[in-house]
Amino acid sequence: MREGYRNELKATKADVVETGRLVIEMTRDAVTSLVEGDVDLAERVIASDDAIDSRCLALEERALEIIATQFPVARDLRLLYSLAHISMHMERMGDLGVNIAKAARRTAARRGPRTLYDLIRAQGNLVHRVLEAMLDAFETNDLELAYKLKEMDEPIDHLFKQFFRELSRLQDEDDIEWASSMVLASRYLERIADHAVDIGERLVYMVTGAFEAFDETNEGQEP
Amino acid sequence: MTPLSGALKPDAPDGSAKFTVRDLDFYYGDFHALTGMNIDIRENSVTAFIGPSGCGKSTFLRCLNRMNDLIPGTRVDGTITLDGQDIYSSGVDPVDLRRRVGMIFQQPNPFPMSIYDNVAFGPRLHGMKKKDELDAVVEQALMRANLWKEVKDIMDRGGLTLSGGQQQRLCIARVLAVQPDVLLMDEPCSAIDPTSVQKVEDLMDELKNTVTIIIVTHNMQQAARVSQETAFFLQERQGEAAELIEFGRTTDIFTSPHDRRTEDYITGRFG
Repeated sequence: MREGYRNELKATKADVVETGRLVIEMTRDAVTSLVEGDVDLAERVIASDDAIDSRCLALEERALEIIATQFPVARDLRLLYSLAHISMHMERMGDLGVNIAKAARRTAARRGPRTLYDLIRAQGNLVHRVLEAMLDAFETNDLELAYKLKEMDEPIDHLFKQFFRELSRLQDEDDIEWASSMVLASRYLERIADHAVDIGERLVYMVTGAFEAFDETNEGQEP
Repeated sequence: MTPLSGALKPDAPDGSAKFTVRDLDFYYGDFHALTGMNIDIRENSVTAFIGPSGCGKSTFLRCLNRMNDLIPGTRVDGTITLDGQDIYSSGVDPVDLRRRVGMIFQQPNPFPMSIYDNVAFGPRLHGMKKKDELDAVVEQALMRANLWKEVKDIMDRGGLTLSGGQQQRLCIARVLAVQPDVLLMDEPCSAIDPTSVQKVEDLMDELKNTVTIIIVTHNMQQAARVSQETAFFLQERQGEAAELIEFGRTTDIFTSPHDRRTEDYITGRFG
């Protein structure tokens, strides 16, 4: 029944996964550009955001079109409704990736203390894991994995706090200017993971039909 | 929600159920058509029955005003109460029941007589003779059916000269003229044009304030638009009795149904 419609839903879901892959790649490159002071890579990251933005917009349009023409209900409706939120989160993750790349551009000329690079690299790796898990959970409707996202996010928040503590030990004025860009980058990474957790909440709704907030404290924070 | 055998029961405020159906089984001779039906139909609301063809929706609908009694060899087990009274008990006059529980069919079926006489038919049958009383009842019924403005100057014209959509509203007016409590609508919009469908749906929305409406529809968008509660019927295998799979708030049924079979049907995976 409704083969064309079913295929359209599958293709839309595949589009989300594809966009998610781009976001993951972009985040990874943004962190690499920051840690290695690679300005060229940072520029490529910044340029890649347009593609993510247009994909997210296209996803929303596609979801709207299916809603308007196919009268989706139940799990199909929940999928399409969730897509609007998921694409919005992915678009913001892309923006945060751009911010990290811009921080890389600002800080590339000066190398700061090694410990802070190590911390941001470690934080980047953890964020990468959360994003991969988020995308896997979406692709396979894996509720258990969706619920784990919040737990996986916690060490990222801790690393951000640790980053802040390391920062407070710096004395030199130049270091502080450099470090303020770095701490912002760490904050952006932490927010990217928060978006992934928010997507996890949407996944739970998508699969079960129940709205659940994993953590109310994320609400109202800046993107 | 409290699961009952054969259905999910929406939370209904005390005393708000118009019909209460318990453990209903229905037979056409040897054929076991419906089994284990449990449902509370909320008063002054629209309840939609959905499901694939042959799933027992119309059979169940016709149990509610004993229309099936007219088919030889049919049998009902279990109870159906209307306002607390068992409609299959010996004290109930089926003709009076069908006045209280009116029915609208897929194909508009005006009588071959004038618009006025179509609407006055029921009240006359129940003994109303005075012209001024009949005039008032006819006008009121046509107004309730949102047809008065279109026909008030052509009341002597034959009911069959009206458009399909107008004929369906004329049939609704004919039923309303005898002051029913309940309106059973068996695919009332399947044979009329989209503008008329809209008018009938608007009419249902108005009428539900004073009449309990149950609609059988194959159009799930219509069920979602017009009803507050939805029941999903299914005959799982050919030759088996149909069951009431799920009953719940229409919003819940169309966003998060409990039963996988409901979900598969409404999302078009079968049927």
